[in-house]
Amino acid sequence: MIGLGSHLLSAPLLASDISVGEHPQAKVLGLTVNVDIVWATIIAGLVVVALGMLLRSRATSGVPSKFQLLWELVVGAVQKQVDESIGPRGAKVVPLALTLFVFIFTCNLFVVLGIGSRFEFLPAPTSDINLPLAMALYVFVLTNAAAIRNRGVGGYVAHYLKQPFSPKLFPINLFMNGIEEIIKPLTLTLRLFGNLFAGGLMLSLLAALVIWRLGPVPVGGVLAIPLTIVWKLFDMAIGAIQAFIFALLTILYFDTAMAPEEAH
Amino acid sequence: MAVDPSVAGAVRIAGAMIGGGLALGGGAVGAAIGDGLAGSQTIAGVARQPEAQGRLTTIMFLTVGLAEAAYFINLAFTALFIFSLYKK
Repeated sequence: MIGLGSHLLSAPLLASDISVGEHPQAKVLGLTVNVDIVWATIIAGLVVVALGMLLRSRATSGVPSKFQLLWELVVGAVQKQVDESIGPRGAKVVPLALTLFVFIFTCNLFVVLGIGSRFEFLPAPTSDINLPLAMALYVFVLTNAAAIRNRGVGGYVAHYLKQPFSPKLFPINLFMNGIEEIIKPLTLTLRLFGNLFAGGLMLSLLAALVIWRLGPVPVGGVLAIPLTIVWKLFDMAIGAIQAFIFALLTILYFDTAMAPEEAH
Repeated sequence: MAVDPSVAGAVRIAGAMIGGGLALGGGAVGAAIGDGLAGSQTIAGVARQPEAQGRLTTIMFLTVGLAEAAYFINLAFTALFIFSLYKK
């Protein structure tokens, strides 16, 4: 036991020592802003834009580079998905779904930089509820706009009243469709946020493992390193799957919004 | 850092822990059942049609991601209960 550091490490760790959802905050125009999340979001956005610009400058119809192949793989996958679920009508959805996928994936990869400290230098922006909520609301507004454009205002309202039961039971229909419509952005938000938040929390729990020692043997410290590596690899896979699910559900919501009336 | 030593504080902590545990347990049960169903149907599908394995695996991981999400949402709320909310 030498110095202050080892004294702190040997002190028992309480649940109250781990804090979640804390961010360095600033007041901007009366709004409270989580500075680190904004900072990380801007960096993630810049990375995505830079990758796009880089592709733009290097794109060739000749022998493609590995970088171009990677982009073509992602774009091709999104295009195929849109084609299969919406069909040719959905061509406008491809850029949105692609951007969402690449941006969320980039954000999710930031968990790799986490060390489980109270404030991260670059936290995954999706591990704060504000960014997923903003993206889900954006998708919500766009899908409803697409539905109104597809069916007209009258058809849009009628869509809420006339199914799934007979039009005579319109209050029940309105209630059920309303619930469904509200639940969509909510689950979209919570799914992404919950996964990434749990990832960051797991990192701080693994970091707290360091205090576990048997006499002079730092058992927890030795265990924490391989466990963190394994968890980060798993978290990267989770990040990719969640980014894909977000983009896929966006496509599916557009599919319901753009479907012709007879389909229901 | 400081834990409220009063009875009210103890009740708050106990409530947070019990509530968090219930949320975590329920979420784990649901996610496990969902993952099991997805996995079993995938195995059944591959056994019936081995050449479909590649496509089925992709869909299975997608479904598992959706089912697991319910658990991770619960985990996030549990963390809020246990580590954060009861301090207020």
